[in-house]
Amino acid sequence: MLRHTALFLGYELRFLLRNPIWPVFGILQPVMYLIFFAPLLGSTTPSGSMPEVLAMFTPGSMMMIALFGSLFAGFGLINETRNGVLERLAVSPAWPPAIILGRVAKDMLVLVLQAILVMGVAVLMGLRIGLVSFLIMLALMAMTGLFAASLSYGLALALRDENGMSQIVQFFAMPLTLIAGLFLPVSLGPEWLQTAAKFNPLYYGVEAGRALFRDDLSDSTIPTAFGLLAVLAVITLVWSMRSLRKMAG
Amino acid sequence: MIIEAHDLRKTFIAKRGRGKTEEVQAVQGIDLSVEAGEIFAALGPNGAGKTTTVRMLATFTAPTSGTARVAGFDVVKDAAKVRENIGYVSQAGGVDDNSPGLDSLMLAARLSGMSRKQARTRADELLEAFSLTEIANRPAKTLSGGQKRRFALAIGLVTKPPLVFLDEPTTGLDPQNRANLWDEVRDLRAQGTSVLLTTHYLDEADALCDRLVIIDHGKIVAEGTPTELKKEVAGDVVTLKLKGVAEAKELLAAQDYIKEVRAEEDTLRAYLDDGEHGLPHLLRALEERNLTLDSISLDRATLDDVFLRHTGRSLRDAA
Repeated sequence: MLRHTALFLGYELRFLLRNPIWPVFGILQPVMYLIFFAPLLGSTTPSGSMPEVLAMFTPGSMMMIALFGSLFAGFGLINETRNGVLERLAVSPAWPPAIILGRVAKDMLVLVLQAILVMGVAVLMGLRIGLVSFLIMLALMAMTGLFAASLSYGLALALRDENGMSQIVQFFAMPLTLIAGLFLPVSLGPEWLQTAAKFNPLYYGVEAGRALFRDDLSDSTIPTAFGLLAVLAVITLVWSMRSLRKMAG
Repeated sequence: MIIEAHDLRKTFIAKRGRGKTEEVQAVQGIDLSVEAGEIFAALGPNGAGKTTTVRMLATFTAPTSGTARVAGFDVVKDAAKVRENIGYVSQAGGVDDNSPGLDSLMLAARLSGMSRKQARTRADELLEAFSLTEIANRPAKTLSGGQKRRFALAIGLVTKPPLVFLDEPTTGLDPQNRANLWDEVRDLRAQGTSVLLTTHYLDEADALCDRLVIIDHGKIVAEGTPTELKKEVAGDVVTLKLKGVAEAKELLAAQDYIKEVRAEEDTLRAYLDDGEHGLPHLLRALEERNLTLDSISLDRATLDDVFLRHTGRSLRDAA
């Protein structure tokens, strides 16, 4: 079963290696935010120094790749519901979950690589981060990718319509971004916004990232983020498997 | 028997907007038995339920009721076993456009349990057999329809399955590619592979299959070898265009050398076993009544005449 997942992952990676340019485009947006937007945030942190601003802002810009990259991962799958690829795989000896898991693994890997690049840029700009925090941050990104990509594949298989899917993803992406405090911590905002954020899984991801970048490894948002994302990932994975089975009618 | 199906049925619940649903009975009780080594065709117009039937046999769609055994295994209870023993080439083909055909071929081979080396050997064999070696590494989206179809077939055969399902294998192909594909299907039979194919082309079923069923509105309306089925209708058919169809129909139906007469608007089709000898009599009879012909032709009966006889309409109109 693991073998089948690895085979699908290998197939996806071969495709990626032939077209390595697209994931690079994915990090342009957060990098531009880091370069052009982060310097405006000096007044939002106690000392206003660049390393401090970057520690606050980088996790949000990394979540942005997850949101605007991995959430769109499912688009390719919609076409495969029509061109017969999924139909063929569904009646092949392939272990069905591997069809989704292989792709999700690819998306996680891409997201982690993108995260390394974004953190690299932030470090060049003056960010300081410990090795342990860095590694945990990568794990957190992988977890976010697992959830976001599974959600995207689930949506793709349930909707099977590019137009509907792009509307829904856009519809959710904006409020999720704002209410997670992706750009500025929600703690700067009023009580109701902070309450609303508690219902947004992304909020915990961003807050856990900020704790890690402060090297505050004991912060409760870190295990909360991992736990929450894991549970959500399992739910969305099960959902996408079900949608895959239901494709046949 | 490589396929044995009893009273297969499939009812879909289709959404019709505003929360309304409608039941669509795509397949309404199909019995099939296909012998090992046969090329078996399901002929019928679009929407007859051919694809749904094949999808049920290939374990893609679960039947609403009925049972089927494919390669000795139940399609519902032993779906995994069935999958190890079949190749399935859907109407859409199932070739990933973004990657080279070779990658899809290798993935399919390795998913069936082959090592990288075994997969490569098998892939090379198939590339060779389908003349795909030179385009093996080109992204599939740059290939022609015929090339893509050959890749689809190669992927379906990668595990050397004893049974292959081909759903509308030649739809959209030009005559040359169609003829080539027919040869490839015949080669499969020569190697002992059983084939179940669906088609809405009469000539394809006629030229290619050992036995066939004609499917219409989710039911089997006729079953047999192409020769048997055509014989049931008559050896030959005379098609006449003329004014006074009703009168002519009555007249011809009374002739003892004519087995059956069917009228469609200004066209009459008269079925008779010996067209060459019957035609002069037929012409004389028309002349005696002063019925003037616009045109007349004598042909061998085709599967379309079989279809017409069983469904009351021509397959050419039914699609």
